[in-house]
Amino acid sequence: MTVPDPASLLHPVAAGADLVPRHVVQSRLLGRALAIWKADDGFINIWEDRCIHRGMRLSAGINDGAELVCQYHGWRYSNRNGNCSYIPAHPGEAPARALRVPGFACAERYGLVWSGSPSAAGPPSIPTLEDTEVLPLRGLPVNVPAALALKGLAGYSFRPAAALGTGSPVATGTDTHSPYSVTVTAAAAGAESSVVFFVQPADAGRCVIRPVLSPAPAPEERLAVLRHHARGLEELRTQLEDRRPPEIAVQPPMATLAPLRGDTTAPTAGGRRPQVQVRVVRKWLTAEGIAAFELGPVSGELPSFQPGAHVDVHLPNGLVRQYSLTNGPGLTGVYRIGVKLEPQGGGGSRHMHDSVHVGDVLDLSEPRNNFPLRRDAARTVLIAGGIGITPLVAMAQTLARQGLTWELHYFAQSDDHIAFGEMLDPLARDVTMHLGLTPEQTGDELAEITRSYAPENHTYICGPGPMIEAARAVAAEAGWPEAAVHFEYFKNESPRDDTSAFDVSLARSNRSLRVHAGESLLDALRNKGVDLPSSCEQGACGTCLATVLEGEPDHQDVYLSGTERTAGDRMLTCVSRAKSGRLVLDL
Amino acid sequence: MIKLYDYLLSANCYKQRLLLNMLDVPHELVPVEFHPGREHESAEFKRINTLGHIPVIDDDDFILRDAHAILIYLACKFDGAGTWYPTGDPRLLGEVTSWLQFADGTTNTAAAARLHVNFGYDFDLKACQVGAHRLFRVLDEHLWFREQEGLGWVVSAPAPTVGDIALFPDVALSGEGGISHEDYPALRRWAERVQRLPGFIDMPGVLPTAPLPG
Repeated sequence: MTVPDPASLLHPVAAGADLVPRHVVQSRLLGRALAIWKADDGFINIWEDRCIHRGMRLSAGINDGAELVCQYHGWRYSNRNGNCSYIPAHPGEAPARALRVPGFACAERYGLVWSGSPSAAGPPSIPTLEDTEVLPLRGLPVNVPAALALKGLAGYSFRPAAALGTGSPVATGTDTHSPYSVTVTAAAAGAESSVVFFVQPADAGRCVIRPVLSPAPAPEERLAVLRHHARGLEELRTQLEDRRPPEIAVQPPMATLAPLRGDTTAPTAGGRRPQVQVRVVRKWLTAEGIAAFELGPVSGELPSFQPGAHVDVHLPNGLVRQYSLTNGPGLTGVYRIGVKLEPQGGGGSRHMHDSVHVGDVLDLSEPRNNFPLRRDAARTVLIAGGIGITPLVAMAQTLARQGLTWELHYFAQSDDHIAFGEMLDPLARDVTMHLGLTPEQTGDELAEITRSYAPENHTYICGPGPMIEAARAVAAEAGWPEAAVHFEYFKNESPRDDTSAFDVSLARSNRSLRVHAGESLLDALRNKGVDLPSSCEQGACGTCLATVLEGEPDHQDVYLSGTERTAGDRMLTCVSRAKSGRLVLDL
Repeated sequence: MIKLYDYLLSANCYKQRLLLNMLDVPHELVPVEFHPGREHESAEFKRINTLGHIPVIDDDDFILRDAHAILIYLACKFDGAGTWYPTGDPRLLGEVTSWLQFADGTTNTAAAARLHVNFGYDFDLKACQVGAHRLFRVLDEHLWFREQEGLGWVVSAPAPTVGDIALFPDVALSGEGGISHEDYPALRRWAERVQRLPGFIDMPGVLPTAPLPG
């Protein structure tokens, strides 16, 4: 039989039993080093065994159940998508989506884990292993090429499981059902067993024999059968290696292994265009007036995100709304959002509540993160008001999993108004509920929560505008520096004035334009073909930030802190304007 | 208080630090500059150990040398439960002794490769590496069968013994001697079990492992 290109097939790379909790298996296929780990949700990740930062082996990394952490500089990579979720040297920034470990195809069959070509139909199907209980035997690394091992295995003989000690080894049949396997059958004393030897081509000079026995022996014979084959295969290995010393001289790759994931989508500039299609897979009422949605990809996989990120939902009625992702670490296969019904709002939440159902398709932006979480604080204080809990649920789960010091204060009207309780319950030790308080009582509580500031403390506040204002004021009074107080408004409720007109020069593209009264700077830029990303377009989210080189901005947003406003070197183009007659922007 | 004549980067000294910590025995470390000062060969140190080797302990003027002898002494003196060195069970005691012997083998191969690479010792590196792989193959198969038996340590008992402590440093540090663990999945799982034992401490070259949930 002609042997097909090994890179076009799936091969075993580990035994399923090797993937114990919080462990990373080190393996190799066709000369490519692999790090294989199972997350707490059961997903098996097969990745290139190399941190994209400085090349450290990821198989030496830490599997925390949701993320794999490189031991060198602590880069963290997410379960499933392999995206870098956090870089300790840049604690205040969301890592670029292009930072991602190459991952490879994964399948499970016959108690083995398989990888290789993403376009292969699946692992080989072997008749003797179908419709019966099988037992994977111990995998045996051999320092000979796979082809030589397959040849040697065709001469293997053994006793059937039910007649182990009654005579000498036999082989009554040999078969080849797939290019990288040999099936040997032994029938004796009225008993019959088959062993299928799958051979993992580790590199050009080495392979791993992964035998699977059928039918599985009786429990009381199991150990004896395992030992019987261990002895037989050890003898075969000695012959195959011809007394060559057991050294591991790593060979160059035999073939290029196609990564599972193509290049990441190019960073999209551009206005509010939908970039991802999702399907509603679950919808439930998580609290009084708050609907929760679980959104899965329509095709492919979802773009990566970190705690604090939000997506724009482009509703069929033309409205665009921002919702924070509540996902904890490692939950990368779906997006979970919470939507509070705003009866007096513009109709976005009403539409989500009444007209979006399980199975519906929604258009989203890629997640953006203008509220990133540092994971290097000595203590993190999360303060949520009402639906402001959503980004903080994601943060709380992240801090808890990493064993960091944190506390969450959740202000809500009553027990019935607590959203995502099922995600908060396991974290109850660090969560304090403040229910049914008046604005005055809320103010007092906020003052109490922020009373003591110590270096390396950070606080993250999300909730209604007046609550954020109050929290920022009491924190400032208690000595919290602005850089330690992070906040995210849902909307910009401050009065806006767009009556000014001014000139703008774009330093990088060497163009100039005039912004007329009643027109936003963002729109004026877009009319000139300068495509800035944007999201909320009301000065709350920070997506359309531009760098100011000259001139004095007229800030009308709620995103920048007082210091950032005074510095005058950045502005939100959607609502802010100019006090000076001319602005020079770094665009 | 027990004094341990110690060198931070020595695998044999690390065995003693591990057991002292796991048994929660107060002790004092007396640093001996093995490299590059070769202080263990100085006339002054030879008054403590005429062989010029570390580790050595001084327990209230009782001086004891030899890594595995010290492990046995510490286990017998400080392990009230008697599991670390099971003198009451002839079979287990025999097994432990055979693994201590085995650990002499890894010292002569895996640890020697590391001494060659990191400390300028003139050994036959290739022979050391091949010898280490020969032993690791045996150890990996042994530990794989232990898992099949529902056990996790080198001897057939539910609790770890000084046999595990004697083997761990040479295994954990062997990457420094150019010995890959790629072929030894059961050995890698066992090393993680050792690292999760209460009182485990690391040393330079031994990377932390993930704690188990719950």
